Amino acid sequence: MVEITDVVCPLCGCVCDDIVVEVEDNRVTKVRGACAVGKSKLMGHGRIKSPAIRVNGALKECSYDEAIKKAAEILAGARRPLLYGWSSTVCEATKLGVCLAEEIGAVIDNTASVCHGPSVLAIQDVGLPSCTLGEVKNRASLIIYWGANPTAAHGNHMKRYSYIAKGYFLPGGKKDKKLVVVDVRETKTAKMADKFIQVEPGKDYLVLSALRAVLYGHEDVVPDNVGGVSKEDILEVANMMKEAPFGIIFFGMGVTQSRGRHNNIINAIQVTRAAHTHTKFNIMPMRGHYNVTGFNQVCTWETGFPFAVDLSRGFAWYNPGETSSTDLLIRRECDAALIIASDPGAHFPGESIKHLSKIPVIQIDPFANPTTEFADVVIPTAVSGVEAEGSVYRMDGIPLRLRKLVDTDYLSDEEVIQAILEEVRAIKSKEGE
Amino acid sequence: MEELKMQTIRLRLKEEVMSGVAKIPVIVDALTPDKLFGKSEAEIKGVKIWWGNREENTGDLFEVSVEGDATSEAEVKIVMDGDLSRVKYIGAGMKAGEIEANGDVDMHCGAMMRGGKITVRGNADCWAGCEMHGGELIIEGDAGANLCAMYRGEMTGMTGGRVVVGGNVSECAGQYMAGGEILIKGNADILAGLNMKGGKITIEGDAIMPGADMTGGEILVKGKVEDMIPSFKFVETTTVDGEQYRKYIGDLAMTEKRAKGILYVK
Repeated sequence: MVEITDVVCPLCGCVCDDIVVEVEDNRVTKVRGACAVGKSKLMGHGRIKSPAIRVNGALKECSYDEAIKKAAEILAGARRPLLYGWSSTVCEATKLGVCLAEEIGAVIDNTASVCHGPSVLAIQDVGLPSCTLGEVKNRASLIIYWGANPTAAHGNHMKRYSYIAKGYFLPGGKKDKKLVVVDVRETKTAKMADKFIQVEPGKDYLVLSALRAVLYGHEDVVPDNVGGVSKEDILEVANMMKEAPFGIIFFGMGVTQSRGRHNNIINAIQVTRAAHTHTKFNIMPMRGHYNVTGFNQVCTWETGFPFAVDLSRGFAWYNPGETSSTDLLIRRECDAALIIASDPGAHFPGESIKHLSKIPVIQIDPFANPTTEFADVVIPTAVSGVEAEGSVYRMDGIPLRLRKLVDTDYLSDEEVIQAILEEVRAIKSKEGE
Repeated sequence: MEELKMQTIRLRLKEEVMSGVAKIPVIVDALTPDKLFGKSEAEIKGVKIWWGNREENTGDLFEVSVEGDATSEAEVKIVMDGDLSRVKYIGAGMKAGEIEANGDVDMHCGAMMRGGKITVRGNADCWAGCEMHGGELIIEGDAGANLCAMYRGEMTGMTGGRVVVGGNVSECAGQYMAGGEILIKGNADILAGLNMKGGKITIEGDAIMPGADMTGGEILVKGKVEDMIPSFKFVETTTVDGEQYRKYIGDLAMTEKRAKGILYVK
């Protein structure tokens, strides 16, 4: 038995890097310090056994070479291909993905499209007064979770980084901190809060505007009830913000994917700005997948834009709403798709899945999931962070290196994309002759 | 006075272009009256346009015919027919002349246009009239999101011209608008006039959360306002075109110094 310490967890945007793993006979046998979902991923489950190609409706096992060749043929022949996913793989694979997108004139997009894409848009419009999770742990005496429920989605977030964590300047942990939760329902996180604000669904925007007006000294114009929240409650939260020496708003998909979308986030960031007339305040998106942030980093340094980049006309065109995956698929624009390290089959709207099921789909993933059910080429890969190493970015933009814990016969995501890219280049040079 | 000559260029999208499983968009910003002025039918057929990730000849995707002559760009009229629901950038950047699109059109219709007139006999998808500087855009049906707004990263939307929408508009109509006029005969979905700093939007139907983060310009809502932005200040009751309105200024969430937008609500 070998004990490996400081293992980096490849599950959610928290990217906990203090996990202890026991390995016996090239298998992970014990995991300490991870949350339940992180532990499940590190222990391993439900792998795709072999590369396969769909023949007459059924997946037929084949070699890596055959699957890669078939994938390259589909992509090289497509007029409007989509390369989607990338959030549960490493930056090195994404970098090659951008090369592939450029080679075949594709749209490249990641899961931010159906998650924190609106946050990315908002950040581009008004900036992001933010900090690291380490600063939150050590300094933040007021923590606001808005439209986010970390007890369910980011198991270790409160314990490691926020409300429950004992910090250098806040040694008492939650005794020294205040927790405010804003949500449409009383979640488990809300039950722990010092102050819970229940907003009517789709009305976060109004409450944020009212908070800004109050923080700028215009409480006189704010009506008695805003989006189901009383003026007293809005004034109380504004006071808590003013009095906190250092505060943070963590926001989740309750605001990014509800009515108002990116404009809710622009408003929330401007609340932070308004709070700066009184104190030091910060804001941070609760990013989902462990490397959803990393894709945005790589895509930005490669193309100039963070996600939903259309390279079909030989230059990078960025227009979420048009070049984002769900929109492309609902509008039936794509004629082929490569899905890597994600599961649109489970997470996309019905109309987009319907179109995906009608066009050639290549899936690259360690695990079988609903997307496998309609994929035409399935290419299994090593689990990054367990069987392969690489760079990832935590939700606060801190880069961390995933470690390899056990050996495998599976190719890594990076190796598979590299092989498809080489095959596509071979097809293209033959066409050019 | 000399009679105005007219040239009509007819472009009908061939059925096979949109008959596949995928409806791959065709991009036609190369087909505006000013860009086609002076070209023969054969030359127009040879103009390159994008269909997905490949460039094709206009004549391969459209049936093309030309009638009459024109002595200037202003005398060129393009009539578009066929399934235009995945034809993007109709009249984008046009400077003069006229386009008539018979049917629903795809995104970016009339985007960045500077002059001339576009009539859409159907609905227009998102970003119609985006960053428009001049000219006239008439949409007889509904308009999608970001009508007359700005592209990502820009802080200025429409600056001039006139837009009329016969039906309803989706989210964020006139975002960052700085000049010109929009008349919406139906309802406006959330955040019409978001970040508006100049120009005028008239909404004859209902509106949801109009005028958020406004720093200038004017919005008039003749129907009901749902979810009024809570950071506007009531000024007075006033009469506009013989009807009574409550006049507000805002948005105070942008600080008092910048809150110079005017919102008329019944």
